[in-house]
Amino acid sequence: MAPPMTERRKSIRRHLLIYAALTPYVVIAVFPIYWMAITAFKQDPDLYRMEHFPFWFNLAPTLRNFKILFYQTNYGSWIWNTFTISGWVALITLVTAVPAGYALARLRLPGAENTGIAIFLTYLVPPIILFLPLSRVVAELGLQDSWWALVLVYPTFTIPFCTWLMMGFFKTVPMEIEEAARVDGCGQAGAFLRVILPISLPGVLTSVIFAFTLSMQDFLYGLAFVSPGDQKPVPVGVPTELIRGDIYYWGSIMAAALLVGLPVAILYNFFLDRFIQGITGGIGK
Amino acid sequence: MTGSPLHGGPDPMARAAVVSVRAVSAARRRWLSHNGQRLMFGYTLLAPAALYVLLLVGAPFLFSLYLAVSDANVGDPVARFIGLENFRSALEMDVFWISLRNSVVFLVVAAILKSALGTSLAFLLLQNFKGKKLIRGLVVIPFTLPVAISVLSWKWMYDSQFSVINWVLSRMGLIGQFGTEGWPVWLGDPKLALLACIMVNVWRTFPFSAIVLLAGFTSVPNEILDAAKVDGCNFFQRFRNVVVPMIFPILMIGFLFDTVFTLSDLSVVYLLTQGGPANATKILPVLAYQVGIQAGNLGRGAAIALFLVPLLFPALILVLRNLKRREY
Repeated sequence: MAPPMTERRKSIRRHLLIYAALTPYVVIAVFPIYWMAITAFKQDPDLYRMEHFPFWFNLAPTLRNFKILFYQTNYGSWIWNTFTISGWVALITLVTAVPAGYALARLRLPGAENTGIAIFLTYLVPPIILFLPLSRVVAELGLQDSWWALVLVYPTFTIPFCTWLMMGFFKTVPMEIEEAARVDGCGQAGAFLRVILPISLPGVLTSVIFAFTLSMQDFLYGLAFVSPGDQKPVPVGVPTELIRGDIYYWGSIMAAALLVGLPVAILYNFFLDRFIQGITGGIGK
Repeated sequence: MTGSPLHGGPDPMARAAVVSVRAVSAARRRWLSHNGQRLMFGYTLLAPAALYVLLLVGAPFLFSLYLAVSDANVGDPVARFIGLENFRSALEMDVFWISLRNSVVFLVVAAILKSALGTSLAFLLLQNFKGKKLIRGLVVIPFTLPVAISVLSWKWMYDSQFSVINWVLSRMGLIGQFGTEGWPVWLGDPKLALLACIMVNVWRTFPFSAIVLLAGFTSVPNEILDAAKVDGCNFFQRFRNVVVPMIFPILMIGFLFDTVFTLSDLSVVYLLTQGGPANATKILPVLAYQVGIQAGNLGRGAAIALFLVPLLFPALILVLRNLKRREY
C-alpha cells in the first residue's frame, strides 16, 4: 500500500514545483489585463488615492466609465468601424488569398514555390516603410479621412500571410480527393469550388480569423490615414481621442481597452498555434 | 511506328501507323490544351492576390525609393529629384544618430531579455502537468492582445503619480516616497524611459519566443533523445548537441521575425512617450513618422524609414533561406 502513496506524493510535489515556477510568468503576463479590468470598474476617487490598497475596490464598483464611453465619446462608432473594416478585410483576403493559395499549392504552376515565398516575404515589409507612399495612394483615391483607407491597406499584410497559410493547408488535402472529383466529371473550377473548398473550411475559417486579428494589431496605418474622430477603429481611437493633452480619463480608457481587447485576445489565443505554424513553416506542432 | 503522318499506303501496318499517330497527336493536343487550361485556371486564381501585393506593396516600396530621392512634401505635390540629399541631411541630424542608437539598444536588450524569459518558460511548458492548456492560454495573452490596447494599460501602470509598480516598490521599501528623489518617473526620466519601453516590448513578445521554442522542442523525436541518453549524454549535452542543432532553423525564423517586428514597430514608443523625454526613446520608426507625416517632409521621412532596410536585410535573407526548407 505504501508505494502508490509515495508515487502520488511525488506527483503532487512535482506539480507544486512546476506551478510555483510558472506563477511569476502568469502574474507578469496577466497583471496588466487585471489592472485594466479593475481600473475600468473603479470610481474615480478610488483610482487617484495613493494610500489605498490598489488591487481591490475601496469604493463600490461602477459602470460609469462604460457609460461615459458610449454616451460621451465616439466609442460606439469605433466598435462599428472596427468590425466593418475587419469584415471587409476578411472578405478581400478570402476571395484573393484562398484561390491564390490553392493555385500555388496544387496547380503545378511554374515557379509556384518561389512565387509563394515572394508573396509571403511581402508580409515582412514593415508598414513604416510603406506608409508614406501609401498615404499618397490613399489621397489619390480620395480615401483619406475615412476608414475605407484601412480597408484598402490592411490586405497588404493579411493577403501575404493568409496566402501562405492556405498554401500550406491545401498541400495537406490528399490529391486523391481531387482526382476522384475529376473522374466524377467535375471541371477544374468545379473540383475546387465544390469539393476542395468545402473540406478546407477549417483552413478558410482560420484565414478569416487572422484577417480579423491582424487588422486589430495595426496602429500606424490608422494613425496616419484616418484623422476624423468618428472614423477610427478602436485601437487608434482610444489612445488618440480619449487622451487629450495631459488629462487622462483612465477609467474610461481602460474600459475601452478591455471591452475590445479581451475578446480579440481570446479569439486569437485559439488560433495562435496556426499562426506560429504559419511563420515557422509548419515545423513542429 | 514513327512514320510521317502524311504517309499512307496499301500496307495495313502503315495505315495502322497513320491512325495511331493521329490518335497520339489528338491526345497530345488534348493534353496540351488541358495543360494550358490548368495554367490559365491557375493564373486566374493567383492574379487577384498577386496584383494586390504588387500594386500595394511592391509599387509603394519602389515609390518610397523615389520619395527618398525627391523633395516631396505634403504642401507641394510636385516633387523634384534631389539625389541623395535626404539621406545626407538625415545623417547630419543629431536626432537621427540618437534614434539609430536607441533602435539598436532597444533591439539587443529586448532580444536578450525575451530569449531568457522565453526559453525558461518553454522548458516549463514542456513538462506534463494538469491545467497546462489554461496556463499556456493565460501566458500568451500579452502577444494576442492588440498592441495599441495593451500599451495603454502600461501607460497607466507607469503613471507619474499613481503608478501601481511604484506603489508596490515603495511598500517593499525599494524606492522612496512620491515627491522625493527616490520616486521613479518611468516615462518622464530620460534614464528610465527607454528601459520602460523595452519592458513593454519584452512583455508583449516573450510568449512568442516561448511558443516558437516549444514548437521546436516538440518537433525533436523522443527516439533521438533516448538514443543520446543511452549513449551517455547528460541533459546539457543532449540540449547542446542534439536539440539545438535540430531546432536551429525554427529558432532562426522566430528570432528574425521578432527582429523585423521589433525594429519596425512604432506603436509602443509612440503611445508611451512619442520619443521623449529629450529624445531618450526616439527610435527610427518614430522619427520617420514625425518627419514624414507630422512635419510633412515625405522625402526625408521615406529616407529615414529606408535606413531600416540595411538593418533588416540580413534578417530577410536568412528567413528566405529557411523558408525554402519548409516541409508539408
